[in-house]
Amino acid sequence: MWRKIKNWLEIRIGLGDLIRTHLTEYRVPKNINILYTLGFVALVIFSIQVITGFFLLVYYIPYSEMAFKSVQDIMSTVPYGWLFRQMHVVGSSLMVVVVLLHAIAVFFMGGYKKPRELTWIVGTLMLLITITFCLSGYLLPWSQLSYWATTIATTLPTAFPYAGETVAKLMKGSEQVSGITLNRFFALHVMLLPLIISVLVGLHIFLVRRVGISSPPFGKPAEPERPWTEYRHVSHPEGYSFFPDFVLKEIIMVMVFCAVLFFFITFLPTLLLPEEASIPADPFKTPAHIKPEWYFLAPYQMLKIIPNKFLGISLQMIILLIFILWPFLDTEEENNILKRPRLRWLFFLSLILWMGFTIWGKYS
Amino acid sequence: MKRRRFLNLLLTIFGLTAAGSFLYPLVRFLAPAGGKAEAKQITLKKSEIPVGTAKEIPLNNTPAIIINRPGKGFVALSRVCTHLGCLVEYDKIQNRLICPCHGALFDLEGNVVSGPPPKPLPKFPIKVESESILIG
Repeated sequence: MWRKIKNWLEIRIGLGDLIRTHLTEYRVPKNINILYTLGFVALVIFSIQVITGFFLLVYYIPYSEMAFKSVQDIMSTVPYGWLFRQMHVVGSSLMVVVVLLHAIAVFFMGGYKKPRELTWIVGTLMLLITITFCLSGYLLPWSQLSYWATTIATTLPTAFPYAGETVAKLMKGSEQVSGITLNRFFALHVMLLPLIISVLVGLHIFLVRRVGISSPPFGKPAEPERPWTEYRHVSHPEGYSFFPDFVLKEIIMVMVFCAVLFFFITFLPTLLLPEEASIPADPFKTPAHIKPEWYFLAPYQMLKIIPNKFLGISLQMIILLIFILWPFLDTEEENNILKRPRLRWLFFLSLILWMGFTIWGKYS
Repeated sequence: MKRRRFLNLLLTIFGLTAAGSFLYPLVRFLAPAGGKAEAKQITLKKSEIPVGTAKEIPLNNTPAIIINRPGKGFVALSRVCTHLGCLVEYDKIQNRLICPCHGALFDLEGNVVSGPPPKPLPKFPIKVESESILIG
């Protein structure tokens, strides 16, 4: 039976050739390391988010009068509803972690350098979409936490003169965060963002395959000498096969992710769902000491200490823009960060500053 | 004009018309519903807010606070922090309005004392009568 199906596909799509060229004979660099599996792990988490998101949609009611209750019902009445919601909630945070780690690893290994500038930009855009996913999904439970986090996020554009107020009102659909905002964020979360990220994922994988996978700059160089004056595909004939060798590494990392996911769900179930997440939204009461999600703590703390709102938000936009356009700002040819003390200094200083602001934001 | 150039021109005109005809309704579709709600006034009894206390009320969908300041009388302020929209709370001990989100402090006139807000809290007109207060 299996042979018949295989033959049927072989005649129509050339299955054997497809498997050879894209899996068994596709080579990855010999000095490739475990950090190269993070992209695949992010893709697996995204798939888990889509599946658990679909399950939640079966019971969730995107109407401000019913949203909170429907989420509470998912958590307490629907059999195993708590499991799928926890997987979705913890999965969203872990997706940010993995995409961030992937970006940090690519930066550390100089993987953004010519000819992979586009791959980097598409990757950073995916990081932004991931965070927008988290932000739009945050409002849907219609709790105190989600209501006030969204109030802050949708007020941010007002820092910019002229268009700021209009943009904020377009996001909210009303003067304050209301049922209209919930509908907008719901449409964004379940329809527009999945569409955009799917296109970006496709483009990212296409670029990785089209240009060829980058190799770590440490050890023996595996790539042709620069300069790149014309298109050429980077292949690694001496490397390991993608399947089964590299895929096995990827599966190990997926297992590590699953272990972390279920550890958080089992032993730290309230870590991402604090008390305010169990109180229905009250537009007339901001909870005391409200804090954003961990990945927004650094920007939150920056906004807190910078006395000018416009300056605070503009500074963050500039940092973001530098991050996205970094391949065009770093014009040095050397991609081994160990041979570039200034870049290494910048890299670790940025990381320490970000972590410092995050911890400060948490305990301030 | 050459045929190719003419076709390019036509393509540009139709393309821009199609894009404009789509974008205009899209912006109108996403824009908040127009028309301002009728401004309503609220009447409170003076006895509801003893000296040194405050009362939080919704005033035309905006969270507001009426404070009875010792020696200075009543004032009505918006509770929406001008920084990022959280609602300020009256702190009787400090005699200040505090924003729980980014720790901004306002005095009882609505002026920024410390923190990142760019402007004072908006004031609402208030009319104090013998037994009642008219806000809005």
